[in-house]
Amino acid sequence: MLDGRTADGAAISLRGLEKRFGSLAAVDDVSIDIESGEFLALLGPSGSGKSTILMSLAGFERPTKGQILIDGVDCTPLPPHKRNIGMVFQHYTLFPHLSVVENVAFPLKMRKVAKSERIRRAEAALKTVRLEGYGQRAPKQLSGGQQQRVALARAIVYNPRVLLMDEPLSALDKNLREEMQLEIKRLHSELGITVVFVTHDQGEALTMADRVAILKEGRLQQISPARELYERPANLFAASFIGEMNQIPVDYDGGVVRLGGGQAIALPQEALVQPVPPGKAVLAVRPERVRLVDATSADALPVRLRDVVYAGAGTLVIGDLADGTEIRARIPSADSADLRAGTTLHMGFPPGAMLLYGGGAA
Amino acid sequence: MNSRSLLLNAYVYAVLAFVLVPIIIILPMAFSDTNYLTFPPEGFTLHWFGDFFGNSRWMKALRFSAEIAALTALVTTVVGTMACYALVRGAGRIGALFQGLLIGPIVVPHIALAVALYLFFQKTGLSGTVAGYVFAHSVIAMPFVVFTVAAALTSVDPALEDAAMSCGATRFTAFRLVTLPLILPNVLSGGLFAFIISFDEPVIAFFLAGIRDKTLPRMMFDNIEQNLTPVIPAIAVLLTCLSILVLVGAALLRRASVRTTAAPAQD
Ligand SMILES: Nc1ncnc2c1ncn2[C@@H]1O[C@H](COP(=O)(O)OP(=O)(O)OP(=O)(O)O)[C@@H](O)[C@H]1O
Ligand SMILES: [Mg+2]
Repeated sequence: MLDGRTADGAAISLRGLEKRFGSLAAVDDVSIDIESGEFLALLGPSGSGKSTILMSLAGFERPTKGQILIDGVDCTPLPPHKRNIGMVFQHYTLFPHLSVVENVAFPLKMRKVAKSERIRRAEAALKTVRLEGYGQRAPKQLSGGQQQRVALARAIVYNPRVLLMDEPLSALDKNLREEMQLEIKRLHSELGITVVFVTHDQGEALTMADRVAILKEGRLQQISPARELYERPANLFAASFIGEMNQIPVDYDGGVVRLGGGQAIALPQEALVQPVPPGKAVLAVRPERVRLVDATSADALPVRLRDVVYAGAGTLVIGDLADGTEIRARIPSADSADLRAGTTLHMGFPPGAMLLYGGGAA
Repeated sequence: MNSRSLLLNAYVYAVLAFVLVPIIIILPMAFSDTNYLTFPPEGFTLHWFGDFFGNSRWMKALRFSAEIAALTALVTTVVGTMACYALVRGAGRIGALFQGLLIGPIVVPHIALAVALYLFFQKTGLSGTVAGYVFAHSVIAMPFVVFTVAAALTSVDPALEDAAMSCGATRFTAFRLVTLPLILPNVLSGGLFAFIISFDEPVIAFFLAGIRDKTLPRMMFDNIEQNLTPVIPAIAVLLTCLSILVLVGAALLRRASVRTTAAPAQD
């Protein structure tokens, strides 16, 4: 813990945030309430406005509309240096002419903390990120992971109540990344700080965050805890963006869906995340929820096998439904020994595994 | 060695000879034990250097030139660095316009600039004043400062200043504590260039000289017109040494800047 103090995180409220660059709305009417001490991930494809939201929070971008409240105080017009927010950037931003400990002490110097006190607190922050004894080195004498940890120490040394991170791990290789993910999680629970974390890596978002906000073209698609996001995505974009999803075009009559091949499936009420009008719809099922069943089973759908891809513990089975729609199933390899491409078998969807969305496929 | 690089070598040596021969001719004459200029020099004496340093009029001109050069260096580094910042970090179109304006003093012949400034200074009473010289010399030295600083500034990641601001620094403090130290070697090296450009600038000095205060190059003109003694080559030797010192200093400074701004290790 830094200085034996717990900086409890600030609550953040984005209200109708909009940022236009010319005619392009990089952020379009985004409203999010972030709780004190929450770890929120912003997830979305490239250009979806994640960085713009973060930069607006940090004060580097001025939103064209909307408000940013931190602990109820309107911060929208405040310049970055008045926001008291810690920030870690995507690439290395340590000051090359300062030693590691001087880098970490920099925010304290800006806050006019006495020199001996700042060195003491900087050393303590370095200890928090497990870089004790590295203080006298120059930044370029550190590895990439170590540099980002120093940047992290610099961002938390003054006990800010909010920590912003814009893809801080994207420059690191996989092992280092996983190690740093745990490191950041540990810091978050130790410090109780509110964290907003931008990433385009869904695995990273799901493992680290309390809630994940999904963005597409500047608009908020869904904001939910990881499990809900994965198991009950709010729309087809969120469904297909996170993990794999089978999408089967169907006709919906208000209770039963009819597949292209003519089979009908009765849907349980919980398959509808949001109300779906009768008509064209898409039935979504995660591949790992698809089951191989007997031809005699009530919900059996005939599938012609195209590919059987063995991958150790699990096997990916790819086939076509009667109307040609591709369908994928992930099954334990123990059950897949006698599957052959070109043969026909039967698949079924457990009631709790089906989700229905209105409109065409994404 | 193929014929092309042979030709290139020949060319380089020809240029070097062209540049060096006048210096090689003039330098020994500074030590000539005669009252007039002659080549090859006769005898050996340091008398002319003593003449220069012992003469109060030469010393006054030296001090005057040094004052102007120092002020020019100061003005161009401060204004030039700010301009450069706007140029490199600022909005595109204004930057391009500005760059055009900066190249102006390089392509316009100094004599044209001198005539224009002469007319302008006549009206404003700046002729022969320190302010007038500093203004005129800053105009011609500015591009060298801006281009030297720009070389360093483009290699400094703008995100460093963002990082400093997120740490609580104002934009100006971020510049002062982060960007400036990183480009300082080039700023100083630009200042040295400005100093030397001002210090041995002859054309503008010729047009703008007042009756009382004259710069060193202007005094040299006067001396050449009246009585051509080996004190002129002696001063030439001193000026050449100063230029070499400045160039070496600037080169060392820029080496230092390459070391501090080099990209961090990525592993
Ligand atoms: N300064 C700017 N001027 C003009 N357009 C911009 C500017 N900054 C961002 N944009 C545009 O706004 C949109 C959102 O950009 P943003 O950087 O927020 O995306 P992102 O989600 O962070 O993407 P990435 O994953 O690639 O970092 C993009 O279309 C981008 O081109
Ligand atoms: Mg981004």
